[in-house]
Amino acid sequence: MFLKMSLSRYLFALSCFQMNLLREAEAALCPANEPNSEVPNGAAGHYLLGLIYRYTSRRAFAIDHFMQALAIDPLLWTAYEELCVLGAAEEANECFNDAVAVRIQPQYFFESSSQSMDGASEDHSIPSSRTVGSQDSPKQSKQTHATNNIPCYPQGVVTTSVQSANCVPSNLSLYNTPPPLTQLSGIVPPPVYRNAYLNALGGDGPSKPNAHATIIQAPRRKFMDEGKLRKVSGRLFSGSDSGPRRSARLSGDAMANVNLHSSQTGANGTNYSSTKFLGGFPSSKMGSTALRSVSNRKGQQLSTESFDEGRRQDTFDVPWSQASAAASSSLSVISDGGNTEQDRGYPANSGTSGHESGVINGAKELLFLLRILGEGYRLSSLYRCQDALEIYLKLPQHQYNTGWVLSQVGRLYFELVEYFEADRFFDLARRLSPCTLEGMDGYSTVLYHLKEEMKLSYLAQELISIDRLSPQAWCAMGNCYSLQRDHETALKNFQRAVQLDSRFAYAHTLCGHEYIALEDYDNGIRCFHSALQVNERHYNSWYGLGIVFLRQEKFEFAAHNFHRAYHINPRSSIIMSYLGMALHSLKRNDEALVLIDKAIIADKKNPLPMYEKASILVNLERYDEALKVLKQLIEFSPRESSVYALMGKIYKILNKHDKAMFYFGNALDLRPPAADVAIIKSAMEKLNLPDELEDSL
Amino acid sequence: MATESDGEEDTTGKLSGSQNLAVDDDSREMAKKAAWSVSSCKPGNGVPSLRDDNLETYWQSDGAQPHLVNIQFQKKVKLHLLVLYVDYKLDESYTPSKISIRAGDGFHNMKEIKTVELVKPVGWVHISLSGTDPRDTFIHTFMLQIAVLSNHLNGRDTHIRQIKIYGPRPNPVPNQPFHFTSKEFITYSTIR
Repeated sequence: MFLKMSLSRYLFALSCFQMNLLREAEAALCPANEPNSEVPNGAAGHYLLGLIYRYTSRRAFAIDHFMQALAIDPLLWTAYEELCVLGAAEEANECFNDAVAVRIQPQYFFESSSQSMDGASEDHSIPSSRTVGSQDSPKQSKQTHATNNIPCYPQGVVTTSVQSANCVPSNLSLYNTPPPLTQLSGIVPPPVYRNAYLNALGGDGPSKPNAHATIIQAPRRKFMDEGKLRKVSGRLFSGSDSGPRRSARLSGDAMANVNLHSSQTGANGTNYSSTKFLGGFPSSKMGSTALRSVSNRKGQQLSTESFDEGRRQDTFDVPWSQASAAASSSLSVISDGGNTEQDRGYPANSGTSGHESGVINGAKELLFLLRILGEGYRLSSLYRCQDALEIYLKLPQHQYNTGWVLSQVGRLYFELVEYFEADRFFDLARRLSPCTLEGMDGYSTVLYHLKEEMKLSYLAQELISIDRLSPQAWCAMGNCYSLQRDHETALKNFQRAVQLDSRFAYAHTLCGHEYIALEDYDNGIRCFHSALQVNERHYNSWYGLGIVFLRQEKFEFAAHNFHRAYHINPRSSIIMSYLGMALHSLKRNDEALVLIDKAIIADKKNPLPMYEKASILVNLERYDEALKVLKQLIEFSPRESSVYALMGKIYKILNKHDKAMFYFGNALDLRPPAADVAIIKSAMEKLNLPDELEDSL
Repeated sequence: MATESDGEEDTTGKLSGSQNLAVDDDSREMAKKAAWSVSSCKPGNGVPSLRDDNLETYWQSDGAQPHLVNIQFQKKVKLHLLVLYVDYKLDESYTPSKISIRAGDGFHNMKEIKTVELVKPVGWVHISLSGTDPRDTFIHTFMLQIAVLSNHLNGRDTHIRQIKIYGPRPNPVPNQPFHFTSKEFITYSTIR
């Protein structure tokens, strides 16, 4: 009774969350009249509560609950991800150290013993799959036998997916038969997850060997590439954050990544069908084989190409399946002692004897992987990009070459303003997991910066064809129009992205940038504030606000906002340059110059800080130094009209007219836009030149 | 700056329109948020027909000459190009032949900046608003007025099918004296 009630509360809270009724959701999880009651559904409940707090801007509580979720269930990757986004994650080594493997253990035991899951829509682990088996594809049944003892780690979803018809949040599956007492078991990963979730899964997931893939593929086919998973189209699961499935995923990943997920979840398709999900749960087939492969995770290469495109609907399925897979895999690992050939028929994993140690070993492997990924993700959230890159390199080869990891690496290069590298990595990621959506908005921005119109429009078209209802696709489309300077259409596209997922901070930021281009500053400010409300550490929005105020010449505000952006990402030479510009406008020139010098050192390839420095020096009438800097710039970038124009201006002030003419001429030769032509020409006219020169002008 | 297509201007400097709308990439249409008004119009052929990007619809005046199109901006803007679409073959005596362009702060202090004559124009007529001096490349104004002083064949009323006004784009990098032109500079100059 008690169990049912608390699970019902969780389900109710989940539904409210999906419908964006955050207050009711919170009340369900933490009833006001029972202040000391436990949060239902253990880690998943804490995770959901953390999300609620995050979206209602109560950061401290959110952090607290995510930590608790992790404490209860150390494999709940999504909770760790949320902590990273909030900037409050501890080191991955601490969260995912081997000691916690012990905590994972009991749930498996519990799971396996709780075979009798009620059919209701519980997904739970294998046993549940049994029950649901009927609903699902035949695969399920296969799975069941294989899985018998395999605990499903965050299952939940499976069952619901079965229901899918109406896309009921699979979260329903959250109900796990095991009573809440066993916190670990049956904890359903939080329903919310991002599209990317799947990505993540897929991404880091090791690739399976092709052989496996074939095995797995046979049945269900939908291999899900993590990336593919999409959110339930119904948007049942709100978006931006990938959900909890992560935990499942992670389990899956680590262990079974390889095979499991691929087989698992083929989330494809439009129906939520549990099949997918279940399919995902590779269990049926995968159960055994996957498991085995899982154990061999290290060796396996998952052929990502075999993945299907995940469709939104399945997403949540996937995680689950993965989770289950993971679970299974862990088990298999355990039983197997870790090595299995893929095709070996896996006998029901039931090595109960080796079970415990098996679980621990499996858990340790999983944790090893999570440690690296977690640390990498944490560092990338702190924008310590170089460090994060090094950490990701510690991954085993086949793990590194997966969609999620590669797109994370791409993102890191993007933050480091190394767009060519970023382009390369994102491209690779797309080739490995073509249906991945997460991170593709970042890729579209990289292409925007590189001015690659063709590639960008191709990307946008592809993303839309993969999933018309994802915000990333519309962000890419908008970037395309913006590159062609059609700002109104770009704005419309970004607004569509916002409409599709109002918790996707980047869409708001891009809207803001378009408003700036259209010179509608009030709306721009509004958009940036919305972005910041979703994610306070989104430094692009702080930067955007700074730009607005710079244009409105409110330099104090501009400096403040750039400072906030700088605080979040202290390594970006561009932010440093802009902050320097704002400080210079406030006449705090020494600080400005210090900052600009720092920017120059931080990124040798970036000409902007040098140009800014020259500009500031000119305003401070330190012409010789300015000229020195500009001459260096010419070496660096010989075809930049503004450099010559500025030099011409300096020489004119210094009354060296012939030099001024020379440089103005150079500037004009490089075909600057009309406004600059006008300025340069009028400057030339005013030069005191002998008649013959004037005539030749 | 607009590039006059071949054949738009004949030897006497009169404009005859060109098929293509040829505008530089660094110009942008400025009048989307401006307030448009006309001195008179026939019902159904009013201001919206001037701005609807449809060359089939036109503005038809309905009063005494000169017929005026007034464009008022919310703040002082820089402009350098005006483009009209007129078609002698379709409109014959409704086609404007002499157009005067005036600029100023408001109705009280408009000053004529340019007069052009059209000769059987068919297509887009690009009218540059710049003066000869480089400093006058752009006009800086709150309001622009296009006055149709006379039509072909002495028609009373006039048809104009579309009007567009262009000015320079603002620098995407704020507070810079000059635009960046090279790829490296542009790539590294903003965050998105």
